[in-house]
Amino acid sequence: MHYLKRILFIIIAGVFLSSCSNPRYPSIPEDISIAATVNIKDMSVSFINLDSMEKIADWKLEKPYTGAVILPDNDTIILYGKQVETADLYSLKSGQAVGSWNTGKGIVNGKYLQTTSQIAFVDQNLNNIRFFDLNGEEAIQISTELNPLTILESEKSKILYVLSFNKEKLTVIDLIKKEKMTSFPIHPSAAGAWLNEDKNELWIGGHGAGEEVETDIHVYDSVTGDFKYNIPAPSMPVNFLGSNKNVFVLSHGSSKLYKLNEDGVVLDSMIVGANPFEMVFTNRNIMIAGYDSNDVHFVDPDNLNIIKTIPVGKGPFQIVLRERK
Amino acid sequence: MSFITDSLTKKLWLTITAAIVITILYSYFLSYLFYEKLYVKNVEAALVEEGARLASEYEGGPLSQELKDKIEWYSTKSESEIFIVSNPRELSACLPFEIDYESLINGAEREELLNGNPVQKIGYEERFDRKIMAVVFPLLDESRLEGIIYLYLPLAKISEVTTDFAYLWMIAAFLFLIIALFFGTYLVRRLTKPLIEMKKAAESVSRGDYSIKLNNASTDEIGQLANAFNHMATSIQEEDDRKKDFLANVSHELRTPISYVKGYSEALISGIVKKEESNRYLSLIHREAVRMERLVGDLLDLSKLDSDEYKLEKIPLPLAQLIEDSLQKYVPIMREKNLKLQLHLDPDIIINGDEGRIEQIIQNIMDNSIRYTNEGEISLKLYKVNEGCCIEITDSGIGIPEEDLGKIKQRFFRVNKGRTRNDGGTGLGLAIAEKLVNLHNGTLTIKSKLGKGTTVKIELPVIME
Repeated sequence: MHYLKRILFIIIAGVFLSSCSNPRYPSIPEDISIAATVNIKDMSVSFINLDSMEKIADWKLEKPYTGAVILPDNDTIILYGKQVETADLYSLKSGQAVGSWNTGKGIVNGKYLQTTSQIAFVDQNLNNIRFFDLNGEEAIQISTELNPLTILESEKSKILYVLSFNKEKLTVIDLIKKEKMTSFPIHPSAAGAWLNEDKNELWIGGHGAGEEVETDIHVYDSVTGDFKYNIPAPSMPVNFLGSNKNVFVLSHGSSKLYKLNEDGVVLDSMIVGANPFEMVFTNRNIMIAGYDSNDVHFVDPDNLNIIKTIPVGKGPFQIVLRERK
Repeated sequence: MSFITDSLTKKLWLTITAAIVITILYSYFLSYLFYEKLYVKNVEAALVEEGARLASEYEGGPLSQELKDKIEWYSTKSESEIFIVSNPRELSACLPFEIDYESLINGAEREELLNGNPVQKIGYEERFDRKIMAVVFPLLDESRLEGIIYLYLPLAKISEVTTDFAYLWMIAAFLFLIIALFFGTYLVRRLTKPLIEMKKAAESVSRGDYSIKLNNASTDEIGQLANAFNHMATSIQEEDDRKKDFLANVSHELRTPISYVKGYSEALISGIVKKEESNRYLSLIHREAVRMERLVGDLLDLSKLDSDEYKLEKIPLPLAQLIEDSLQKYVPIMREKNLKLQLHLDPDIIINGDEGRIEQIIQNIMDNSIRYTNEGEISLKLYKVNEGCCIEITDSGIGIPEEDLGKIKQRFFRVNKGRTRNDGGTGLGLAIAEKLVNLHNGTLTIKSKLGKGTTVKIELPVIME
C-alpha cells in the first residue's frame, strides 16, 4: 500500500511540475528577417524566413492569442488576445516565455508607436486605448467610442486615429499630449485604414452593417473629418498599404487585392488566398495571409503575380515582421 | 385482490389482456421510433442528394447570376426550400471581428463547409422562426467559400406524416385490441369450460352420482384429465357395486343357514318333533353351523388377505410330498363317489412357500373338483415349466359355461345360483385360492368345457438350484 502511494505521489508530482515549467518552443535564429503569422483557429504562430520564403517553425501555443507585436529589441514578441488575461512576452531566440503584462481581457489590437516608443493596446472591454512602455508599465488610458478596433498612427502629425467598429465614430488622439483631440462620424463597421498625409485623406474600409456588404472605400478629410468620396473595391476592403503613389487594398469578402493610384483609380486586381484579412510589405513583396486557405502568399507589387505560397497554421489573422537590414 | 385471484378464468383473461396491451404499446413505440428515424433519415438523405446535384452545377469563380437564377427556378419546382447565398457576411466570413450580426451559418459550420463537407442541421432556426431540417452545401473555388446552397424543409411537414401515421396506428391498434380481447375471452372460456364441468362432475361424484360422464373430444392435457376423471368415476362405481354385491351375498349366504338353524331348533323346542327324529334335526343344525363357521372363516381369510399386513411364512417345500399328504383326506370321499384319482408328480420340485397356505389352495380346488364331478376321474399333475412349476388339476365334471369363465374367480359367484344349499361351498374358495397364489408370485388360470370337465393350472416359481 505504501509502495502504491509513493508511485501515485511521484506521478502527481511529475504532472504538477511539468505543467508548471514553461514549455520551450523552437528557437528563431536572430540574424534573419522573419514574418510571424498569428493563427487563430489552431492557436499557433508560424515563422517564415523572408529571405528564403520558407516556413522555419511553428509554435503551438496554449492560449487563444489573436495578435502580436515585435518589440524594437527584435527579439521579444508580445502575444495578446481578447480572451487572454495577460499579454505574454516570448523570446524568439530562446523560444521561451520571458514575462507577461497584466492587461486583463479585451485586447483586440496592438501597435508599436514610432512617435512615443510605446505600445498602444486597443481594449474593447474598457473601450479605450492603453499605452504601455517597453517595460510593461501602463502609462495612460484614453477612452474612445464603443468597440475600438483599428488604429492608425500619423508620425508626421503625431496623432493616432482610432476607428470604432460599432459606434460609427472615429477618434483622434494627440500622442504628445496624450489626450483626445476630436472625433467625427464615419460609416458603420469600419475596419482598416490608410492615411495619405500629402493629400490629407483618410481611406477607411469596412465589413458592412447587418446583411449589407461593404463594397466601397470611404475617403474622409483627415483634418476636418468630412466625407469626400467613395472608391468601389468590392467586397469588404479591410486592409490598406501605401507605397510609391500606389495603394494596395485587400477585400476579404471577394478575396481580392486591388492596386490603386492615389486618386482612387483601380489599376489592377487579383484574387489571392481565401478570405484574407491581413497583408504587410516585406522589403520586396506584399505578403498576404489567407484566413480560410491557411496559407500566406508573396505577391509582386508591380505585376500582382503570386511569387510563392506557403502553408501556415490554421486561420492566419495577423502578420508581424522583424526585418534585418 | 382476491376477486382477481379467486378464478382461473379471470387470471387467464388478465394475463392475455395484459400481454396484448403490452405488445401493442411496445410495438407502437418501437415502430414510431423506427418510422420517424427511417423517415427523417430518408428525407435528410434526399435533401443531401438534391443539394449535391445542385452544388455540382457550380463551376468555380464568383457565383454567376445564371446559377442564382437556375437555383431560384429549381426552388419553385422542388418540395424543399432552396436558396443560394454568396453574401460573405451571411457566411460568417468576418467572424474574427465578432461582427454583431446573426449570420446564416456559424463559425463551426463554416469550418466544415471550408473542408468541403455539407452541413446538416435539425432544429429551431431563428432566421426562419420555425423548426427545420436543413442541408448546406459549400460552393468552393479552391479554398474560397464563394457561396452556399441552403436547402431546408419545415419539420412540421415531416412530423405531419408521422402524426397521420400515429392516428392510423391508434385506430388500427384500438380495433386490434377489441378483436384480440374478443377472441381472448372466447379462448379463455373454451379453455376453462371443461375445468368448470369437471368441478361440477366431481361434486356429483362426491354426492354419490357416478353416472356422470365428461364429454371432451380434445386430446390435450385437459382432454386427458377428463378421460382420467371418467375412468376414475367408472372405477369408483364398479368398486361401489362390488361392495354392495358382496354385502348382499354375505347376508344372503348367512341368512340361509341361520333360517335352517332357527327352524329346526324351534321345532325341537316346541316338542312337535318325535324323539327318534330329534337326532336328525340336531345333525342338520350342526351341519348348518359348520357351514356358517366355514363361511365366516373364509370371509376372515379374505379380509386378512385383502389387507396389506398379511404375511406368508415361507419355507422351502417339497411340493410333491405336500400334495400327496393333503390328498389323503379325499381318498374316502372319492371312493364313496366312485371317482378315480390319478397322480403324476415330479418329486424334485421345491418351492419357497407357506405350507399351510399351499395346502389351502390345493384343498379349495380339490373341493370344487370333487363337488362338481359325479363320475369319472380327477387327475393331478406336477411338472416343471420354463420359469417354475405347474400344478394341473383336471376333472371330468360338469364344467363351466364359457360366458361364466371370466367371473368364476369372483367372490360368491356361482354358475348355478340355485345349487347353493346342496353343494355346501361358500363361493369364496377360488377367490381365496387365487389371492394366495398371487401372494406366492404365481398365477391361477381356469379352462373348462361345459359337460366335459375343468382344468385348473397353478404356476408357481421354484427355488433355483
